[in-house]
Amino acid sequence: MEIRPGSLLLAAALLSGCGWFHRGERQRSEEVSDASPADSAIVEPQVTRRDVKTSRIKAKDIEVGGFVGALSIEDFGTNSLYGLRGAYHVSEDFFFEAFVASSKAGNTYASNINPLKSVTTNAGKYFSYYDLDAGYNVLPGEIFLGRGRAINSALYLSVGVGDVKFAENHHFALNFGLGERLLVTDWLAVHLDVRDHVFESTLTGRAQNLNNIEATVGLTAFF
Amino acid sequence: MQVRLKRLIVAVLLLQAPFSGKAFAGRQPLELLVTQPYLEMHSGPGRGYPVTYVVGRGETVTVLYSRTEWYKVRAPRGQEGWARRDEVALTTLPSGRAPPIIAGAEFASHRWELGAGYGEYNHQDMITAYADYGITPSIDVEAVVEQALRTPDNALVASLGLRHTFLPEWKWFSPTAGVGAAVRHIVSRNPPPPENDNRLAYVSLGARGFFTERLMWRADWRHYVVFNNTNLYEDLEEWKFGLAVYF
Repeated sequence: MEIRPGSLLLAAALLSGCGWFHRGERQRSEEVSDASPADSAIVEPQVTRRDVKTSRIKAKDIEVGGFVGALSIEDFGTNSLYGLRGAYHVSEDFFFEAFVASSKAGNTYASNINPLKSVTTNAGKYFSYYDLDAGYNVLPGEIFLGRGRAINSALYLSVGVGDVKFAENHHFALNFGLGERLLVTDWLAVHLDVRDHVFESTLTGRAQNLNNIEATVGLTAFF
Repeated sequence: MQVRLKRLIVAVLLLQAPFSGKAFAGRQPLELLVTQPYLEMHSGPGRGYPVTYVVGRGETVTVLYSRTEWYKVRAPRGQEGWARRDEVALTTLPSGRAPPIIAGAEFASHRWELGAGYGEYNHQDMITAYADYGITPSIDVEAVVEQALRTPDNALVASLGLRHTFLPEWKWFSPTAGVGAAVRHIVSRNPPPPENDNRLAYVSLGARGFFTERLMWRADWRHYVVFNNTNLYEDLEEWKFGLAVYF
């Protein structure tokens, strides 16, 4: 029988390999036997915990928008009104609101009869105001459009103070409002408002309180 | 050529990987684990709006944003609704730690106040707005703008001063006193005044107190001394009452 040198080398390599594997197992068993049973039960995790940074929760308490409508200036007819409004919602019940708006008065009854007797100049016909109001949501609820859609709403009352510039004079005005806020989405609202601006005027020759009632529709967004 | 292009793309991707990872980690929305039996979701941010969905214990909600004391949250299956802050505060982070839900400033230790109100300045109606920053619980810096109105008078006053609250720990009523300086601009007056612009100094006495839900009231009386270039001594009084929100 002829033994090839190649076969011999292969067999030697295999045998030495087995020995190496065997030696490795013995070594490991020796390590285990050295450790106490309690130590072997502890497994130290090699995981470093990563702090996940989460985005800051954005507060969307500010509401900004515009409105258009009609303003009835006492003794001066009803005219269109344009304005801006901004609100800060303090809680689910209370909010602060500010308004800026402008309108232009028509003719008085007196000047319709006698065109030469004009109470205000052309520049004085502009009726502009700012208001600072505090509001309270009295009737929060839902309005149903058809069978499948409901939108959130709130009826609110507001009261405040402001400056009305009319007939080229500034007047301190109290204002009272009633409005409905319809939340088309969580960030977009439609407002329907009726508000009265009351101020004392001597424009007609005697001091009297003028009630100037406006009806407006507004569109606002929450930020 | 194709190999070069591929290498370039790989290099770009590798370079941006750490940054994109960082950006993603920074923008990760807040997720909270419901640990109470349930978390109610309302259709709107208010107690009057109906409950539309309930998230059970062990489920995770994603916080989207807040409005007043309500949080817009998204349930695991995509339903969205509003949960009350008190209830969201009872959840935990997935790691088990407390959620970063801030319950709002305490009245006794608040820093900022923003408010507006009505008053009388020199027997004229007055509109006022103010901002106030607390240096300590009892000493504040306050900036006030006022418009005094009486046809055809119209004056603007802006002031800056210090205000001391004597008993800031008293929640419902706490007396205050202050000093400060102001500038006044008379827009129009009939008859016209000798000077339209003046500097003023004031002392004030007042009170403040908690009202409700981050709202407080303020009442103030002020005595102004007007510095002018005429030989007339001019001093003025004003009182005002307002509502403010504190932070």
